[in-house]
Amino acid sequence: MITFEGAAKIYPDGTVAVAHLDLTVESGRTTVFVGPSGSGKTTSLRMINRMVEPTHGTIRVDGVDIRDQDPALLRRSIGYVIQQAGLFPHRTILDNIATVPMLLGWRRGKARARAAELMELVGLEPAQAKRYPHQLSGGQQQRVGVARALAADPPILLMDEPFSAVDPVVRTSLQDELLRLQQELHKTIVFVTHDIDEAVRLGDRIAVYRPGGELAQYDTPERLLAEPVDEFVESFVGYDRGVRRLSFFPASELSLRQDVVFDAEDRVERARDAVVSDGEPWALVVDERRAPLGWVGARQLTEAPAGVTLGSLELAPFGHVFHVANDSLRAALDAAVLSPAGRAVGVDTDGSVLGVVSQADLGTAIWSVSE
Amino acid sequence: MIAADASGGVAALDWVMGIIDWAAANWSHPGEPDRGILPRLLEHMRLSYVSILIGLVIALPLGLACVRWSPVYPPVLTGVNVLYAVPSIALFFLMLPYTGFSDWTAIIPLALYTLVVLLPNVVDGLRQVPEHVRQAAVAMGFGPLRRLVAVELPVAVPVIIAGLRVASVATISMVSVASLVGLGGLGQLIVSEGFRRQFDAPIVVGIVLTVLLALATDTVLVIAQRLLTPWAHAGKGRLARKRAARAEAAAAGRDAAVGSGSTPDHPESP
Repeated sequence: MITFEGAAKIYPDGTVAVAHLDLTVESGRTTVFVGPSGSGKTTSLRMINRMVEPTHGTIRVDGVDIRDQDPALLRRSIGYVIQQAGLFPHRTILDNIATVPMLLGWRRGKARARAAELMELVGLEPAQAKRYPHQLSGGQQQRVGVARALAADPPILLMDEPFSAVDPVVRTSLQDELLRLQQELHKTIVFVTHDIDEAVRLGDRIAVYRPGGELAQYDTPERLLAEPVDEFVESFVGYDRGVRRLSFFPASELSLRQDVVFDAEDRVERARDAVVSDGEPWALVVDERRAPLGWVGARQLTEAPAGVTLGSLELAPFGHVFHVANDSLRAALDAAVLSPAGRAVGVDTDGSVLGVVSQADLGTAIWSVSE
Repeated sequence: MIAADASGGVAALDWVMGIIDWAAANWSHPGEPDRGILPRLLEHMRLSYVSILIGLVIALPLGLACVRWSPVYPPVLTGVNVLYAVPSIALFFLMLPYTGFSDWTAIIPLALYTLVVLLPNVVDGLRQVPEHVRQAAVAMGFGPLRRLVAVELPVAVPVIIAGLRVASVATISMVSVASLVGLGGLGQLIVSEGFRRQFDAPIVVGIVLTVLLALATDTVLVIAQRLLTPWAHAGKGRLARKRAARAEAAAAGRDAAVGSGSTPDHPESP
């Protein structure tokens, strides 16, 4: 647990980096500091390992005042990942990762064995061990940066805009990797970013900073999106916060309709009886393994000659599906919006159709969670 | 005409052979360790290498201080530059009353002259260590001295060695001037044996040996850099090969288009 008690950083010329910070970072969770540039989030992070000394207040790690420790020793016990990775250009990847164990006085063989372990953990090829940082891509360098920070197995990991210098595709994969690592390692992570989407994606708790080094709101991502405390937070969080908040509600609670799903071998009459008489405009056709094939409209069903199978009709594409077990309401809504039938197809992990849900039914579900 | 050319060629050959004969005859004199070409060459090496080493030993801490207290750097650099503007011969004469005909009369001015190249290179070398690398070293828990020795200096090595290469060639060439005030080195061959006695051979031998010494020293420094900084070269060879291959392909396409059979010259490296 990291606690800021009235911590502030005010420079001699009067510049306020952090005005007055009271905040508790919970152990084993990911806490994200987010805010526009110059709002004091990076300064707050750097106070934790004494890269910046606070001018007022106290910071404690597990109850111990960090000023009671030698800065270099304190830093060796706290992992740090920096923007642009900050790898040592003159050392191999393996030796970069072994940096802190070597500083702690481990024997070279042991430190390198540990580094090799970490390369595997963060998804680097063993063949890259002997390479130098400039021979790796930006994304790979950042993986090395994470491995280096984890090498001595510190309980705390500080991450200072670690993924902001890589392209969006690589960034998403690095975020996924971090989420996976955190599920395995349960570190106390403090993560700084200016990207609210990244904050919502990674954080268990989010601290939003406003210009002038003040903490505007400290909340779970779901509550931050639902109830921003003021206009600043609301505009910082963004105007589609309502839709984004749906990512915190599972799609598994939706009630799916199965009575409008038909087999490709079924005859037209069967679908016509069940769908058209019921006032439903669309029916979904699936194959023998219940994988979706496409939509058939009520008009096609009424005009088709009797005795024809559904599979022989021209089907409208089913768009993209959502996974009932893992996806959120947001994914279901997106699937429904993009579907030509205005209905989202929910599938099982093996891709077989569990049922469909219309925009109207989604609206009811969204309404109920927003209450 | 052919005859004239031939006789000219024979004359040139005679001249070269004469010089080689002189060099062989005067290379060293057994029993007289201070006479001959070899002692002059060894003296030249001693004077230049000691000057360069002392220059480096001064430039490193001075450069560190200039990086640490950056306002100091401009006046220090100006001072070093002004010193360099003083003609070397004048400095040698100024030293004479204090150091006499000892090595120090040459070494002290020459060592100060190397600073004009070494100091800016040490400062630039340390300054080009990327800020994120420096910050990462702090955050990993390196103390200031350890950070300097284990991270900043190694990263600065290529720039520092580049400075050493320029400084050594300049120093090796300047040691010859010291002979004008009666100090040793290959310059003595040129000044006392050649110039005063109006005789070609010692001058040519002095020049050739000075140039060869400069080339050999430069080669040693290049090899040292390769060994000290494997990271700066790793992968570059492959990249250069790829680039060369691409240039070749492009050139081949161009050649085919204009129907020319000539092979274009490719620069080895950009």
